Amino acid sequence: MHEHMDHNKMRNPHNSHHHDSPVEDEEIRDWKKRLIGAWLFTIPIALLMLFERIFGMMLFGEKINTIVLLVLGFPVIFYFGWPTIKGGLRGLFTFYFNMDSLIALGTLIAYFTGLFSLFFEIQDYSGISSMIMAFFITGKYVEAMARGRASQEIKKLLELGAKKARILRGNKEIEIDISEVKIGDVIIVKPGEKIPTDGVVLKGESAVDESMISGESLPVDKLKGSNVIGATINQDGILYIKATKIGSDTFLSHIIKLVEETQSEKVPIQKLADKITSIFVPAILVLAILTFGSWIYLTKDLSRSIGVAVSVLVIACPCALGLATPTALMVGSGMGAKRGILIRKGEAIQTMKNVRIIVFDKTGTITKGKPEVRNVYTKINEKYLLEKTANLEKNSEHPIAKAIVDYVSEELKIKRFSEVKNFKTLRGRGVEGKIGSKKFVIGNRTLMKERKINLKGYEDKISDFENSGETVMIISENEKVIGIISVADAIKDDSVRAIRELKNQRYKTIMITGDNEITAKAIAKQVGISEVIANVLPENKAKEVERLQKYGMVSFVGDGINDAPALKQSNVGIAMGTGTDIAIESGDIVLTKGSLIGVVQAINLSKATFSKIKQNLFWAFGYNVLAIPIAVAGFLNPVVAEIAMALSSITVVTNANLLRSKRI
Amino acid sequence: MKTAKIEISGMHCSSCASNVERSLSKVPGVKNPKISLLLKKGSVELEGNVPEEELKKAVARVGYKATKITYE
Repeated sequence: MHEHMDHNKMRNPHNSHHHDSPVEDEEIRDWKKRLIGAWLFTIPIALLMLFERIFGMMLFGEKINTIVLLVLGFPVIFYFGWPTIKGGLRGLFTFYFNMDSLIALGTLIAYFTGLFSLFFEIQDYSGISSMIMAFFITGKYVEAMARGRASQEIKKLLELGAKKARILRGNKEIEIDISEVKIGDVIIVKPGEKIPTDGVVLKGESAVDESMISGESLPVDKLKGSNVIGATINQDGILYIKATKIGSDTFLSHIIKLVEETQSEKVPIQKLADKITSIFVPAILVLAILTFGSWIYLTKDLSRSIGVAVSVLVIACPCALGLATPTALMVGSGMGAKRGILIRKGEAIQTMKNVRIIVFDKTGTITKGKPEVRNVYTKINEKYLLEKTANLEKNSEHPIAKAIVDYVSEELKIKRFSEVKNFKTLRGRGVEGKIGSKKFVIGNRTLMKERKINLKGYEDKISDFENSGETVMIISENEKVIGIISVADAIKDDSVRAIRELKNQRYKTIMITGDNEITAKAIAKQVGISEVIANVLPENKAKEVERLQKYGMVSFVGDGINDAPALKQSNVGIAMGTGTDIAIESGDIVLTKGSLIGVVQAINLSKATFSKIKQNLFWAFGYNVLAIPIAVAGFLNPVVAEIAMALSSITVVTNANLLRSKRI
Repeated sequence: MKTAKIEISGMHCSSCASNVERSLSKVPGVKNPKISLLLKKGSVELEGNVPEEELKKAVARVGYKATKITYE
């Protein structure tokens, strides 16, 4: 995806104004300013405190020292840290506690000990309060940057669309903003430019790089009548396109919407963490008060008790708990989107690891969904046979006829055919017609039987082909068989590899189809699936899935349109789409590339993402479970507590980013 | 049922996001609020006529700002 953008930028600067995601960068810039400001004042504070520690002396008198700390600390807490203080206090007063509440309370208490120490016998924690705030801001800055990295793929997706379009108004070419393009506008796309929106080619021929949606690196030829998709890249010709979909209806918009929706999806494992997060802050407040009370009661040392309570306030980190799942999900779904894998349901990520059985629909999923010529057998000149067959079939719209015509045109480079007289389509059986003086009948066994045409000499071959699941067309000239052509739905290029990899991962693979047993078994054998459920009516596929669910969790892979009920019934429904034709609603995971290897990738990605989520939750829980008791016991200096807290959030987000190194 | 998409500025912590969700869910007619901290936006389902002001207020109540609300 990235490469294409760069390459597009080079060739077509006006179409790809890099608009940085403003919100994210503003946030990072803001934290950076606060970070620099806070440390500018905190470093002198730290030096003063260090002097005091090491040399046991003060540069100024005790009171003056405190006043200096308070003055230096004031901007750190009340200017650079103001949003945190404000948000935190608001949370405290409105009972919508947030993690700022803890930091605000911790720093304010510490700061005010400085003021009090001017009048009472109490330890001055005001220097510490600045350091807590400075480290807190540092942590937030690093975290914001890491979060920015986590969303980089999604940001790229948002930036993928063209910003401008050159349209034809009257006879004039004018350049307008993409938002002003209307349905029906004629758009001119020059070589190297991005196609601005979804449309259909009116004029011109070109190759278009559609790798962003199909994953296919070879450009696709487009000519009059071809559909084109917005954000794909026109390679070498000029295309005149009529806009058919604009704005939020385009393919790219749909994908972006899907990916964005995933971000607020909940993964079940996060539920516990969410529950804890929601009561976390008040619980810590209570704990801090209890800690303070117990310390006062046991030690009668007010200063020490305050220090311990502040440590408890600042060490507890609900943020790491809250970030654990969303950051991993964001990185995972971004990685997926880049590969044409759209995770729609957060739950699917968690369920996927328990899936043992994968059921594939045959047609359009394992196979290409359209017939191709497999075998030609004749005892006469093959060229003659093919030429005459194609000549006749040219007049038919049937997919088998098309397959034969395509094959012959490709093999013999025939462009023009002779005239066919008395052409007739015989529904469900074949075609007939006359070329010159010769009468041709092309069709299945039934048709030949009807016409009493003897299959002698071809009988064995016909049975052979039929037994390997192919459909056989018998060609007769003047009531005599001259050859046979068999066609079959070809399997997709990487189906075999995909099934092999799934088997290596010990999944049970099953193929389900409405086709007859012979055809089904033949395909299954080619692709390496041992178990076949044939003759299943579309509406019964869901029932079969239900039956299989008795043996374990089932993932169903199908085309999303006919297979919607089965996709819904299965534990993880994987809907396959090709091009713009994706049925978004029915799958838990949607594959846009239409290739079976996407299933393997989707499974690997789900598992990797889920294990990241688990790791993150483990770190976040573990951190709090360990750190809070240590703070309560008084073993943690408040500044160290704050550093630990900041690190816990950063660890979680950074760990989520590490998901990217995983090969899927 | 209508869905409102809300863009929110100022959230920087997951408890912020869940606070916004909590606050929004208290608005009559608002169902199933989902807020993403990372994308700084989210969606709510609306039953009946919920004034945009109410949504904005609910976000403001917990200290953040609804910068943009769109419906679909």
